[in-house]
Amino acid sequence: MGSEIKIFKGGCPQDCPDTCAMVFSVQDGVLTSVTGNPEHPITRGGLCVKLKDFAKHHYNPDRILYPQRRVGPKGSGQYERISWEEALKEISGKWNSIIDDYGSQAILNCCYLGNQGVINGLTSGDAFFNRLGATVSEKTFCASGSSTGYVMTIGPTGGVDPESFVYSKLIVIWGQNTMSTNLHQWPIYQEARAKGAKIVVIDPQRTRTAKEADIHIRLRPGTDAAFALGVMNVLITENLVDQDYIDKYTHGYEELKGRVLSDYGVERVSEITGLTVEEIQSFARLYATIQPCVIRMGVAPERNRNGGQSIRAICSLPALVGAWRHVGGGLLEMPLWEFPLKYEEMSRPDFIKPGTRVANITQLGKVLEEFQDPPIKSLFVNNSNPVSQAGHSSKLESHLKKDDLFLVVSEHFITDTAKYADILLPAAMQAEQLEVMLAWGHFYLTYNEKAIEPPGECVSNSELFRRLAKAMGFTDSYWDRSDYEMLNDFIDWSSPRLEGWNMEKLREVGYVSLAGATPDKRLPHAEGNFPTPTGKCEFLTTQADKGNFVVPVWRSMYEDMQPGEPIDPLPEWLPMRESPQSNPELAKKYPLNIVTPKAHAFLNSQYANERNQRHRQGEQTVTIHPKDAEARGIQSGEVVRVFNDRGSFQGKAVISDDTLPGLVVSILGYWHEHNNGSAVNSISSNEFSNLGHAPSFSDNLVQVELVV
Amino acid sequence: MTTVVTDNCLKCKFTECVSSCPVSAFRAGEEMLFIDPDVCIDCGACISKCPVKAIFEDLDLPEDMTHWVDTNATESKKWPKISAKMPPMDGANDRKVALGF
Repeated sequence: MGSEIKIFKGGCPQDCPDTCAMVFSVQDGVLTSVTGNPEHPITRGGLCVKLKDFAKHHYNPDRILYPQRRVGPKGSGQYERISWEEALKEISGKWNSIIDDYGSQAILNCCYLGNQGVINGLTSGDAFFNRLGATVSEKTFCASGSSTGYVMTIGPTGGVDPESFVYSKLIVIWGQNTMSTNLHQWPIYQEARAKGAKIVVIDPQRTRTAKEADIHIRLRPGTDAAFALGVMNVLITENLVDQDYIDKYTHGYEELKGRVLSDYGVERVSEITGLTVEEIQSFARLYATIQPCVIRMGVAPERNRNGGQSIRAICSLPALVGAWRHVGGGLLEMPLWEFPLKYEEMSRPDFIKPGTRVANITQLGKVLEEFQDPPIKSLFVNNSNPVSQAGHSSKLESHLKKDDLFLVVSEHFITDTAKYADILLPAAMQAEQLEVMLAWGHFYLTYNEKAIEPPGECVSNSELFRRLAKAMGFTDSYWDRSDYEMLNDFIDWSSPRLEGWNMEKLREVGYVSLAGATPDKRLPHAEGNFPTPTGKCEFLTTQADKGNFVVPVWRSMYEDMQPGEPIDPLPEWLPMRESPQSNPELAKKYPLNIVTPKAHAFLNSQYANERNQRHRQGEQTVTIHPKDAEARGIQSGEVVRVFNDRGSFQGKAVISDDTLPGLVVSILGYWHEHNNGSAVNSISSNEFSNLGHAPSFSDNLVQVELVV
Repeated sequence: MTTVVTDNCLKCKFTECVSSCPVSAFRAGEEMLFIDPDVCIDCGACISKCPVKAIFEDLDLPEDMTHWVDTNATESKKWPKISAKMPPMDGANDRKVALGF
């Protein structure tokens, strides 16, 4: 002890809009603290409850430190240590034999955003599995429905800079619990508020964010599109639209107007949404008259059968009132659309053989059950925990248990998915690897230095795929590069957004804004310039001719074999697949809808293995409206079982009108071993939303009963 | 879960903490600050800012100080929100020294 403390630049690895710039402190090769960078305009010195013990997390004694081979039955957690050489030999041997017997498409990768980096993130395995000839995996856990709906309406634009929100006068948070899942945006809203801005939250639940709002609009889940279309009806009938903006910069207004006036009168929308006519009218009037107004669109509106069209309807609103004319006016979804990254070079879709099939990993249980010719014989999981995060998890588990599926999992811990692995591989954590972090909630690219050596034999994903490529005999130069070289190659330094920047400067400074203009100047669509085929905001999309599609970044940049289901070219509302109104037969058995929001103290399932994080989050609860609790004889604090034909889980009853009658709320992320052997996705279906193959996690009916 | 202000704040009120709070959870009592547990998000940004180490997460609270959890919960409901730094109380610096900081 007593030696010098060394400081390294970090970037938070998590799938969160805030992507904080971190400060890693290292003494004697030990990571002693991780704090927020006070200089960074978004992080402003603070992290969040999820990352509070991030330094200690690196030293959690449960970490997987060495490659291991299963020695007991699947799921028993019995493993023996093996060398990397043995592990790679076993994996490549098994894969070569599967390829000989079934073809390479019998192998599938399940990877998501357990790390959000350029070389260790979503696309980390794409080039390898494309080269291998594996079934292409469609990775649509979050925001794929939003991506398709958004791109079809306003194109791949970064939208409003989150820092420009200080100039907004009306901030509409649509389907997001900002204080839990976009925390660093909240002080920016407060700054706007101090200058007179109003905050509206649109959410069925009275979340901690909704409690702080000026106006809380509590619509029924799955009715966002109807609400947006009803608001349009008021804007049009009361002549509150910006006709000049519409005439110059939008496409298909007359068609939209026709539908809105014929199908979405306020009385009908009131019935659908459960809101009063006055609530719909007064929101529409505020939205049209207070400028600049801005919508912060969360991911929640996509999580039902009509999710993609909900996004289309919401994305259409700013153009109708000309909100894009003003700094701080318009809509924010993902600034990531404007990041100059070379996805084609990262994912290498040129490796994919024409006609290769696609499997959607949010439906992993169904894929393992139904895919034939060839069936999936091997699954490789990294950066993800599908037993926790995919729909109908009980079905998935029943297939992961089967002896004829060769399962390899690269992980930090033995998760609910990793416990079924035949081979476990040890993965590095963020302070142990070099990375550049992309962001989907702000415009900064953030450098992450390797601050400490990985423990045991842990390796970064980039190194993992280098080793696998070598084991499979791939000689392509893709895997000859160092991490630094790969990062340098994958960032488009010729972009005007990066003028004067290179890797060395990014390493020195730590982060760079890609917004293209300062927050007081950025006006992406004051004069149209939407990156759509018409260059306009497309109420009537010109991209419906080939049917439904998943934006290529979610599917290894593969353009073929798109879903292609027919698309309504205008925004519409369809009832949920499962609700008492739309499916009364199912509702006889399972009368309650359920939503399963992200946790406050976990990041999906990450950190939920930490005792302190479980203390901070509290145990699994089931929030139920007093009327529904009374009808079932449930008292506060009693243990209840939530179930349907797909599965069940348990939690402690919280009786509160923070939820609506007919709606129960339970948090996502608890590990089965800490949660009576199950969790929320045991009851969820694996059906898609109508655009972009987004999962419909908020479109499920359940029953709740006392556990006796 | 909760984060609380304890007796080292008494008669000090340096208020270094309040501007670090992203959700304005601090309440200004007459002689000390309190945290409203219904607003606090437990991010911990305030803890290291306190010059007299008065702020603790409940997990780290010494046993003889656990009563501060209830005190913060009740007192925070009586006092106004504070989100901008104020001058400390008279004698705060002497008390800081007396506390050993």
